[in-house]
Amino acid sequence: MKLESIPVHVTGSATGMAGAILTEIAELLEQLADNNMSGAIDLRGLPMTEEDRIRLEDRLGRGEVSARLDVAGMSEVWETSYPGVWWIRHRGGDGQIAAEEIAVTQIPDILVSPEEDVRAAAVRINAELYSTETSASEEEASHV
Amino acid sequence: MSDSNTLGELFARRGVSRRVFMKYAAYTASLMALPPAMTTAMAQGLANARRQSVIWLSFQECTGCTESITRSFSPTLEELIFDFISLDYHHTLQAASGHAAEEARLAAMAENKGKYIVVVDGSVPIKDGGIYSTIAGISNLQMLQETVADAFAVISVGTCAAFGGIPYANPNPTGAVPISQIVTDKPVINISGCPPIAEAMTGTISYVLSFGAIPELDHLGRPLAFFGETIHDRCYRRPFYERGMLAKGFDDEGARKGWCLFELGCKGPITYNACATQKWNGGTSFPIQSGHGCLGCSEPGFWDKGSFYKPLSAGIGDVGQYIAGAAAAGVALGAASAAIARRRKNKAMREG
Repeated sequence: MKLESIPVHVTGSATGMAGAILTEIAELLEQLADNNMSGAIDLRGLPMTEEDRIRLEDRLGRGEVSARLDVAGMSEVWETSYPGVWWIRHRGGDGQIAAEEIAVTQIPDILVSPEEDVRAAAVRINAELYSTETSASEEEASHV
Repeated sequence: MSDSNTLGELFARRGVSRRVFMKYAAYTASLMALPPAMTTAMAQGLANARRQSVIWLSFQECTGCTESITRSFSPTLEELIFDFISLDYHHTLQAASGHAAEEARLAAMAENKGKYIVVVDGSVPIKDGGIYSTIAGISNLQMLQETVADAFAVISVGTCAAFGGIPYANPNPTGAVPISQIVTDKPVINISGCPPIAEAMTGTISYVLSFGAIPELDHLGRPLAFFGETIHDRCYRRPFYERGMLAKGFDDEGARKGWCLFELGCKGPITYNACATQKWNGGTSFPIQSGHGCLGCSEPGFWDKGSFYKPLSAGIGDVGQYIAGAAAAGVALGAASAAIARRRKNKAMREG
């Protein structure tokens, strides 16, 4: 049985937290613009009600970029209508939100291909090409 | 057994990118109230770490702590902890039994000398030579001393291991003692609770893995990230307390309206734990949200502090000294802090 299927839901009213977070975002965005300094706000660590979260999401809106990651459960990342302000929502395997943050940066680290993975990919693709070429040569030789 | 490859290499072999560490680090940093900027460093630390050998010893306990850690709510993400560690010995979870199980423990100790972590749940009976609990023909005391000899650190999970818990309660017929009373020459991290919150256990292990260090501890040796504030400090019913709106009975109007449970014996004001923020069952609820006061299960001697239903204002045990101790406590890092914490805790328990 999923939590959402229980027909009783806790509701809460807005506390004004969304406005406070927007002020912090404005400050972080200024730092990014002026000094190229990234920052982040952990939304799970704040006493936000569901209404606060909805208000903040509505206020920030959605921009042009969004991504979905399937890694240890689904994650959603989208740039808000303010370039440089990203919303990152990580879910566990059960679909519940496990971590959520606002990242004020050029691009969130989790979207950048990790260096070690890129290096491993280069080795792998070359190995596959070599293996394909070798098989093709052997096949041609057998027809001669 | 531990693998010579890094976790990053192990996951790459399975076709999983290093983003998995970024996601797990974001989750753990959030749990432990670490600055979000530490996520990348933590992810890097995890990716470069090797699988940590863990030997889990269960002594005078009820298996509730194991139930808590294996029933963590968010599968896939939280279960990653079992990919990050090599659980080389655990009575309840391992397939091997008898001599084969004991051989696994000894082999893990030999292979990972000085590097393995010992997790203990349950207290250790020392009365009458420790005969009240034995495993594989030796007393719990002998097994603990033998196993921790070459350990890197010890994590006491649950109130029984951390403070003696229920076996330690008056009249303590088996002479039960907490782990820190026996292990005095290496860091002991206490993650108390009956049972402890799963995230406090997994978060602490992840921190040690990522940074190779022990997180900041309170005066009782507990990670401050989870035990830094009282239940009362973070309770959603706190505003009612401030306004003097206190339920007088479990079925009165105040109780129905969700007023503060102080007068019904809630021990939230003197209990340091993360129940009010982490909650249980995937953040669904915690005892106070379900209408019952906090029992104070993560504090030393909770079972002997009188009725669970008497208000704190009526005076229960030596409550005042715990508040004073908590307020005066300093915080330090690493092994030194663990040693100081142990001395203070022993003092608190002696006086308790």
